[in-house]
Amino acid sequence: MRTKILGERIKRKEDPRLIRGGAHYVDDLKLDGMLYMTFVRSVYAHAKIKSINDAAARSVHGVVDVLRGRDLEGKLGNVPCAAGLEGLKIPDHPCLAPDEVRYVGEPIVAIVARDRYIAEDAADKVEIEYGPLPVVVNPEKALEKDSPLVHSKFADNVAFVAKLEGGDWKLVENDKSLKLIKQRFINQRLAPASMETRGVIASYSSGEDALTVWSSTQIPHLLKTQLAVMTGVDEARCRVITPEVGGAFGSKLNVYAEEGVASFASKKLGKPVKWIEGRRENMQATIHGRDQINDLEVYVKSDGVVAGLRCRIIADLGAYHQLLTPAIPTLTALMILGCYNIPNVWVETIGVFTNKMATDAYRGAGRPEATYIIERAMDLVANELNLDPAEVRQRNFPSPKDFPLTLATGVDYDTANYQKTLKKVLKASGYSRLRKEQERLRKKGKYLGIGLSTYVEICAMGPSSRMPAGGWEFGMVRVEPTAKVTVYTGTSPHGQGEETSFAQIVAEELGIPFDNVTVYHGDTSVVQHGIGTFGSRTTAVGGAAIFGAVQKLKKKMARFAAFKLKVKPGELIFDGGKLQTADGSKSIPFGEVVEAAYYARQLPPGVEPGLTEQMVFEPPNYTFPFGAHVAVVEVDGETGEVQLRNYYCVDDCGRILNPLLVDGQVHGGLAQGIGQALWEDHVYDENGQLITGTLMDYTLPKAHHFPWFETSNTETRTPVNPLGVKGVGEAGTIGSTPAIVNAVVDALKPFGVRHLDMPLKPEKIWRAMKQAAAQA
Amino acid sequence: MIPESFEYHAPKNLAEATRLVGQFGADGKLLAGGHSLVPLMKLRLAAPKHLIDITGIGELNYIREEGDRFEIGALTTHFQLESSGLLKSRCPLLPETAREIGDVQVRNKGTLGGSLAHSDPAADWPAAVVALDAEMHAVSASGERRIPAKDFFVDLLATALQPEEILAAIRVPALPARGGDAYAKHCHPASGFAVVGVAARVVLDERGNLAEIGVGITGVGPKAYRPAALEEALRGKSPGRKRLEEACAHAADGVEVNSDLYASAEYRGHLAAVYARRAVEKALERASENSQIS
Amino acid sequence: MKIEGTYMVSAPRQTVWEHLLNPDTLAKSLPGCEKLEPQPDGSYHAEMKVGIAAVKGTYHGRVEILDPVPHERFRMKVEGQGTGGFLKGEGTLTLLGDGSETLIGYSGEAQVGGVIAGVGQRLVQAAARQIVQQFFQAFSKRLA
Ligand SMILES: Cc1cc2nc3c(=O)[nH]c(=O)nc-3n(C[C@H](O)[C@H](O)[C@H](O)COP(=O)(O)OP(=O)(O)OC[C@H]3O[C@@H](n4cnc5c(N)ncnc54)[C@H](O)[C@@H]3O)c2cc1C
Repeated sequence: MRTKILGERIKRKEDPRLIRGGAHYVDDLKLDGMLYMTFVRSVYAHAKIKSINDAAARSVHGVVDVLRGRDLEGKLGNVPCAAGLEGLKIPDHPCLAPDEVRYVGEPIVAIVARDRYIAEDAADKVEIEYGPLPVVVNPEKALEKDSPLVHSKFADNVAFVAKLEGGDWKLVENDKSLKLIKQRFINQRLAPASMETRGVIASYSSGEDALTVWSSTQIPHLLKTQLAVMTGVDEARCRVITPEVGGAFGSKLNVYAEEGVASFASKKLGKPVKWIEGRRENMQATIHGRDQINDLEVYVKSDGVVAGLRCRIIADLGAYHQLLTPAIPTLTALMILGCYNIPNVWVETIGVFTNKMATDAYRGAGRPEATYIIERAMDLVANELNLDPAEVRQRNFPSPKDFPLTLATGVDYDTANYQKTLKKVLKASGYSRLRKEQERLRKKGKYLGIGLSTYVEICAMGPSSRMPAGGWEFGMVRVEPTAKVTVYTGTSPHGQGEETSFAQIVAEELGIPFDNVTVYHGDTSVVQHGIGTFGSRTTAVGGAAIFGAVQKLKKKMARFAAFKLKVKPGELIFDGGKLQTADGSKSIPFGEVVEAAYYARQLPPGVEPGLTEQMVFEPPNYTFPFGAHVAVVEVDGETGEVQLRNYYCVDDCGRILNPLLVDGQVHGGLAQGIGQALWEDHVYDENGQLITGTLMDYTLPKAHHFPWFETSNTETRTPVNPLGVKGVGEAGTIGSTPAIVNAVVDALKPFGVRHLDMPLKPEKIWRAMKQAAAQA
Repeated sequence: MIPESFEYHAPKNLAEATRLVGQFGADGKLLAGGHSLVPLMKLRLAAPKHLIDITGIGELNYIREEGDRFEIGALTTHFQLESSGLLKSRCPLLPETAREIGDVQVRNKGTLGGSLAHSDPAADWPAAVVALDAEMHAVSASGERRIPAKDFFVDLLATALQPEEILAAIRVPALPARGGDAYAKHCHPASGFAVVGVAARVVLDERGNLAEIGVGITGVGPKAYRPAALEEALRGKSPGRKRLEEACAHAADGVEVNSDLYASAEYRGHLAAVYARRAVEKALERASENSQIS
Repeated sequence: MKIEGTYMVSAPRQTVWEHLLNPDTLAKSLPGCEKLEPQPDGSYHAEMKVGIAAVKGTYHGRVEILDPVPHERFRMKVEGQGTGGFLKGEGTLTLLGDGSETLIGYSGEAQVGGVIAGVGQRLVQAAARQIVQQFFQAFSKRLA
């Protein structure tokens, strides 16, 4: 029997140090002579900077330097945008605003001081005279002819228009037998709000002309390249190190102004410079998520089969582009058909500048918006035709036999069995019993709501041809002379647990104890190449690279072993710390093979000493995980308060390498998706002031808000990578938002409510119920 | 998120603390649990020149039964109040209120005195102390005075305490025979603070009519208050559901109702009525249980 | 943020009018006002500690009285910069009454920027109301 490691519920390698406080984040690091930086940020959403008086700040004892936008001109490049869309307007995005600010929180002045207290005191003493300019906050208003311009150098506030068409839209419009259902949805702005805020230390050594940067990032390698470009330091002399990262959710898949300014300041001053983001800065000046207006039209046959879908997406991009800002809403268009084979589609995406912080990738990144649109649409169809929402979905699913399947959007879905997940979740939740209970309770004036969501998402990003900066991933495996194994990945896990799952892959393949494998990531000088962790790609692309590297390594080890055992290399099996022939008649301990490779006294012909192999995996396609969720809510008829009673989900993320990790990802993802449905809303007032600037007003979901989540899985493997895994980092977030909204709207059916926008705050629900009562 | 600089003092006893507050006046601030003050300081919205840390003063931390009253030291934490067996049996409104405050960490650090002195319009304690007609015990270098709850809360974040005074203790009446009390709260989902919080204590007479009623409402106006019209409509009456509902419709009469991103004034007013009814109903239920026992 | 309301003062309209436009009375009635100096252009330079209880910020800026219609109404514009942000307001004050009492009506828009705007959401409205109340209380005391 082979020892089973892959697929087992193994506890995370990373947890003991995280739980015991033994891990090191950027803020835990202190370098000799280190200086501290803080920023003075705009309090206006749009204004000319008329003057800056920093004399008082400079005179504070302990202040080393005060930097302004013009000090960086020609010396530090702009904040980069990697998204390439046809006709995209890319505004200049200097790291410190030189003469005009365009959102509240935009950095204007950087203060460098001996300690953080001094820096903050000095920041308070900087006097900036602003000349306020007209502000535009609402993206629809920004599209109007007489709207104030966010960037006066452009003729309007439209950053791009992208169209996606498939099938034959004329056919749909001319078919008078189809029913048209229209609805506007608001996908409100959210704050990623990871537990650890951003943070960076830049340390420049003039002797070597070398820049080392510690940053809480998801993309150390991309950051290294960008910082080299921005600062002019030779890339070969740039190094980015990512210590522990306390959450990111996409918000650290970016290159930020502060990283640039810290590098610049260190280079100028010849000392290490540290900046740690405060929570208020994090709410203001770390990218935001979502923020779309979706105008949807669905053309449906009388049996509930959808014939066509048309949507106009107005995506609020904020004032500037961060790394992927404009690319995110295009993912919404791409995934708008969800798991339904709708033959005709027409989507127009309009990216709009407003006087707000940039939006960019936040857990799900464009796909939660798509899933919300299509899953709400399915419920609207059910409501309109008086069908059960589960039945409508069934009628629109493609059959498992149809895969691989190219949709009208042009996307190639790999594998799926939507019927199976739906069936399983209906059973787990006792769906038909719930419907009966709902009937009973309604008669008593109690409002139970049952909400469904059957989603599909796009993961394992992705084929390089469709990615802005390459979609491959690097992996390397080395057996050390002591027979311990080191794994290097170009991905940059930050809480997902790949130190565990990658060790599982390698231990299983090599037939050695799991504890003998250590995974390294997040240091560009240790790991040669990498793209990073995002888009639920780490295992499906990075894990595949490790798997590929370990295959090469096994081949090499087998050559050494076969040479000694005098058998054919292909005959050997790795198991139980040995390499042995299939019949078990001959074997050699793993350690002896390692010795043979390193002592190299007798090399098999044509084989080099050492045991290090690497692979760059280029994925041929994305993967398409899917699932089915059921939410059960109770709405208080007097106050509109929503109580989430039960949550059931069945997720299919392909092959499961470690169920514990999958559960962890799903639980956290659900919390964030439910957060959007019920509470979260990052609000700017009409003057562009961010009024949910603290966690007192911005509701982050907390453990006590939730019942226990009933999670389970099906496993439909993908042929896209050799592991058969699809990705699960964002599934919970993507699937849960519409399930909750569908449940609440379902609860409100007796009041004739057919749609409410998120977040479903009690007052909104109360008003809807009140209005219904007034009309009755 | 870094406060301005300040001088730190840690008096060992009440006498020393009163001397310091007398000396620094408006330039000084007492530090108790720090869960209201420290956030303000970190945002630089408050910048006391002197911080007088009273957490080491043991004589301000106690729960004492004195006949039909309880005296509670200002430094008693929310958690100590929540878990006091004595209070659970003799003044259950206090543990029930404490349980609703923030989360475990907040309850472990935050103090009764700090919460009352801060007088946040959405804090829970003010509802309970006005409902119970508590008495605040303020001490200064020049002596002490007792301030009834109804005079204690002056306005938004403002109390009758003078800068040179320390809130040392509060005194509340124990639950009388045939009495019942309850706290009902609609939490803000982000902060846990009360969007609306209603504390109620009722006492029934032999016939089951409402002999006494005290209701305290927080979260609704600039400060916690007693809804006079509501109480008046119920005092001496037999408390049927319809009468309760009618009375509780007056929960926010005469109050400039708060409005924020989470709840408009209209909705908050509605919540005040609903939660007032729920609190009084629950208190009545408990009072009638207690009447049967006695 | 809308700020509006009315306040009854026990003084005839003319007296109220004169005092409202008297920098000395104004300075003494405005909560936390430390300076109110007339400027050559007819506006005032103001320095104020604005806030409630221990939460106070120091602001400096200008106050302007516009379009006065004697004994009836005027517009007032306030602009200040200070602790972590700015505040701005513009509104109309109207006087009503023909006896010994005058009803002052005020209606305007106020805007705050910076720290207060970002963190004070739940308190700003009530705080503004309180500061306005304090002003009128102090003002009517001065008249008495
Ligand atoms: C995340 C979070 C959630 C919260 N949720 C809630 C909630 O749901 N409900 C709720 O009611 N509260 C809530 N709070 C506030 C919490 O209860 C505070 O602890 C409490 O309001 C203040 O008590 P403190 O001991 O922390 O006072 P401190 O913050 O130390 O002091 C507050 C003020 O009172 C003054 N002061 C303190 N002690 C005295 C004294 N003995 N005499 C005179 N003045 C004094 C101080 O100088 C200061 O001005 C929350 C706080 C946080 C951080």
